[in-house]
Amino acid sequence: MGRLRRSRAHHARRDVHRAARTRVRTRDLDLIQHIDLDPKNRAKLEAQELDYEKPGLAQHYCVECAKYYETDYALTTHWRTKIHKRRCKTLKEPAYTIEESQRAAGLGKEGKRPTHTPPEPEGGMVAEGPAVEVV
Amino acid sequence: MRIEKCYFCSTNVYPGHGSAFVRNDAKVFRFCTSKCHKNFKMKRNPRKVRWTKAFRKAAGKEMTIDSTIDFEKRRNVPIRYDRELISTTLKAMKRVGEIKQRREHAFWKHRMAAARDKQRAHRKKKLEAKSSVTLVEPMSVESAGSEKVLHKIKVPAKSKSALIAGEGRTMGMDID
Repeated sequence: MGRLRRSRAHHARRDVHRAARTRVRTRDLDLIQHIDLDPKNRAKLEAQELDYEKPGLAQHYCVECAKYYETDYALTTHWRTKIHKRRCKTLKEPAYTIEESQRAAGLGKEGKRPTHTPPEPEGGMVAEGPAVEVV
Repeated sequence: MRIEKCYFCSTNVYPGHGSAFVRNDAKVFRFCTSKCHKNFKMKRNPRKVRWTKAFRKAAGKEMTIDSTIDFEKRRNVPIRYDRELISTTLKAMKRVGEIKQRREHAFWKHRMAAARDKQRAHRKKKLEAKSSVTLVEPMSVESAGSEKVLHKIKVPAKSKSALIAGEGRTMGMDID
């Protein structure tokens, strides 16, 4: 007798593990939202230099989907697709970040402590960024 | 020792447990279990996965604004050991935990009360929607005048079963 096995057990999802490798990771949503969608960065990404390693010499890049296309035609047709529209919709709401995961856990951030020499307001001490990590 | 928080489900990750992923931009994503790591690799949004803390907080299932939550903090400045301070801190932790538990219970009760009202309203609405169908008078009401006729049903005096021994159709041996 031959092998008795259920057919159609894979749904054409053969290479799940290969697709989940770190080297094929696509750009994360928070990076796209916070960095790429900034008009300055966006202009830079859309007008990239010729890169022989990238598809279409890196000339046709969709910023929202973080994907290179071969031709301008392919890019414009991509903009009309559901995938692109869906991505645009997800980018409208704020992306999930590590800070949010910590906030959900109830882990707050301690405010900056007053340093030992408070009466001398120097130029360097005034600038207080939002993510200043004190060692 | 620092207790980290899982990126996906926001639980505690103790030293020596879980795994971490460091992205190209040096952001460290910590995971409590492989389940959370896999979900991250699938690019799921924790805010939309129902079992995560992020979902529960975002959907209003748990307290988000409360003074008891503000105590836990990431402290980047080490504090010199002080026995008295530690003992008072421990005492305070216990007390805060008690208060938090009570408040969480009250919050849950309040939430459940609202949910119950909602469910009742929903049921009522559903019933009303059903009752919009006008029922036709049952036929039996009209024919109530005619006397009921009892039909006799013939029942065999002894139904033979193959499962009971000595009934003729047994599969096994006859028992004398």
